[in-house]
Amino acid sequence: MNFWQDPQFGDRMITMMAALVLVLQIMMVAQRGLVTNIRAFGVQSFLLACIGVTIAYFNHAPHIYAAAALTLVFKAILLPLILERLVAKIEIRQEIEPFINIPISVLVSGLLTLLAYVVAESFHRPDEARGAASLGHNTLAVAIALFLIGFFMMINRRKALTQVLGLLCLENGILLAAISLTYGMPLIVEIGIFFDVLVAALLLAILIFRIRETFDSMDVSRLSRLKG
Amino acid sequence: MIAEMSILAVLAIPLLGSVLTAAMTSPRKMEIVYLLSAVASLVAALWLAAEVATHGTVFWLDGFLYADSLSALMVLLTSFVYLVTAPYAVGYFRHDERYAEKDQIFGESNDAPTSRAKLRKYYALVPLFAFCMFLVAVSNNLGVMWVAVEGTTLASIFLVTFYARPTSLEAAWKYAILGGVGLSMALFGTVLTYYSAYQVLGGDSLSALNWSVLVDAAPRFGHPAMRLAFILVLLGYGTKAGLAPMHTWKPDAYSEAPIPVAILMATAVLNCSLYALARFYVLTSRCLGPGFASQLLVLFGLLTVGIAVPFILVQRNYRRLLAYSSIDHAGIMVLSLGFGGVLGPLGMLLHMTFHTITKPLLFFCAGNGQQHMGNDSLRKGPGGLLHVLPVSAPLFLLGALAVTGTPPFSMFQSEFMVLRAGFAAQQTGLVMLFAAFLVAIFCGLFYHVSQLVLGPSTGVPRGDSSRWKTYPAIGLAGIVVLLSFWLPAPLYSLVENAARILVVNP
Repeated sequence: MNFWQDPQFGDRMITMMAALVLVLQIMMVAQRGLVTNIRAFGVQSFLLACIGVTIAYFNHAPHIYAAAALTLVFKAILLPLILERLVAKIEIRQEIEPFINIPISVLVSGLLTLLAYVVAESFHRPDEARGAASLGHNTLAVAIALFLIGFFMMINRRKALTQVLGLLCLENGILLAAISLTYGMPLIVEIGIFFDVLVAALLLAILIFRIRETFDSMDVSRLSRLKG
Repeated sequence: MIAEMSILAVLAIPLLGSVLTAAMTSPRKMEIVYLLSAVASLVAALWLAAEVATHGTVFWLDGFLYADSLSALMVLLTSFVYLVTAPYAVGYFRHDERYAEKDQIFGESNDAPTSRAKLRKYYALVPLFAFCMFLVAVSNNLGVMWVAVEGTTLASIFLVTFYARPTSLEAAWKYAILGGVGLSMALFGTVLTYYSAYQVLGGDSLSALNWSVLVDAAPRFGHPAMRLAFILVLLGYGTKAGLAPMHTWKPDAYSEAPIPVAILMATAVLNCSLYALARFYVLTSRCLGPGFASQLLVLFGLLTVGIAVPFILVQRNYRRLLAYSSIDHAGIMVLSLGFGGVLGPLGMLLHMTFHTITKPLLFFCAGNGQQHMGNDSLRKGPGGLLHVLPVSAPLFLLGALAVTGTPPFSMFQSEFMVLRAGFAAQQTGLVMLFAAFLVAIFCGLFYHVSQLVLGPSTGVPRGDSSRWKTYPAIGLAGIVVLLSFWLPAPLYSLVENAARILVVNP
């Protein structure tokens, strides 16, 4: 049997790529450049598309190819381009200012990853350690970690654009869970979800632009006039 | 085949209305199309309800779209709100158009094209908003339902920023970000539900996410995944419904959006998100037994009602006051569902029906007051609205009495049923606490509204001249009074059948 037909090899590839996705996520927490952050998000989405293709190939689930293609086009190419253009257009300072300093942020991300593993552990059923179940174990942990760290990024950052980036990372986590746990949702649902995420990102970009024009800043901690 | 056409009609009418108004330039024509689509939607909703009453359930496109009594009730309530807000919206925006130049309502430039573009935004987006809510109610697939709920957020973001004030941008930002995070949690919950179903049902066919399929297979789902899924879904759709502590976007968005949009958000969107939550509640309770989901719902419901109390007592703006009242009612409905048994779901759906009919009245009067006085402050004016707005002010008082559940109004009956459901579930301590919250909310709301309405004349010129803005309020007040003495039998049987779907036997 050649290695490209061996499902074990596929599993290892997926686990490795999922690990890379997690590393990229922690890298986004750890560094300050806004454009670098957007590109890291693009690479992360590209890796997700690769995971999708691998799963589709080894498990003979052709409709995941479509999901992977959508991820590639929208999340790995289109969204980073839009966001970078927005950064250039509104001429903001190219630096992220988190509330918590970077070493502690990385530490928090590590703890969140640990928590994700604890949660994912409860799903593990050794008696079904085949196919989806064995694959699910590691990637589900990574997916939950992406979700939690995305949350943390949103809370930890004060600029509108970086909050949107956190939201997109969080959605990457859900995507990873969807394609690895269950070999993808039904195709029509995936198309709907992609469409929604794209429209949401566009609307948020427009909103950021208008906030920037009105308040002359993207710092959302200034949005505090409505109270009580 | 005829029965299936009713689902098509419910979905197609608002979509068509949206497309037509987007292509128009004359505000008067947009108004006509908008009003027609509202009337036609209610007719289609009544048709669907009638079909459901005779056939029980209606399937279309191999079960992709599906309507049972619960869906039919949601469609009916949404289309009712859509219809009552339509004539009011016409009057409301004509008032804005007339005073646009004087008051700088549309931001910096107030020339005719700007206001016309703004109006087109409203008249095209609101039918789209309604379409998304109808889709929530009739989609069988839980993934599509999620897409539709997200669609309601997307369609309404730019309705919240309608007036282009800095504060409305702030409100829209909070709404979009909190809504986005909340709904991503709901999506994760949906994925996990699919995961636990996938192990039982197998296959990747479209029907594996269909609620009507899942509900029969639910007892065999994997427990840990389903438990986590329900927590995520509760947090997710709970954010959209404004359950504490994720309620903070609500007062901002409700006070910044134009009145008709605020009404749709306070009633129809609230119903849709609670509807989605209730669907998952049934799945979870069938899988894990009724205890787990019920306890969480009771906890969040009581917390939500409790958190509304201090904010209602010390409120300074009457539109924010109404938003907190809406948060309070969301809590009551969730609490009632959590009490469970036979009475809990019935209390929830009755309360939902009465709330949907009563709440627009308060917003109408608040809108008339705000447009006439130029602000919505409870502190600035010395009161005496009664002398200024001879129609809206007394109706405001009537609506405040009705919405706080004062007898003989119908919300008293539904709140009483929630109390009974609580006693039946042997939660006496919690019911006492809940009743205390209700009394406090009654005092706060009624105090503020009576301060605003009663009092000596202040010499402000009289208002209430527009028929478009007063007749809907008078008509709705008539329905509210009528409903407190007579509940039509077909409506009650629809509510009863819908509640039966949510009853989970232990």
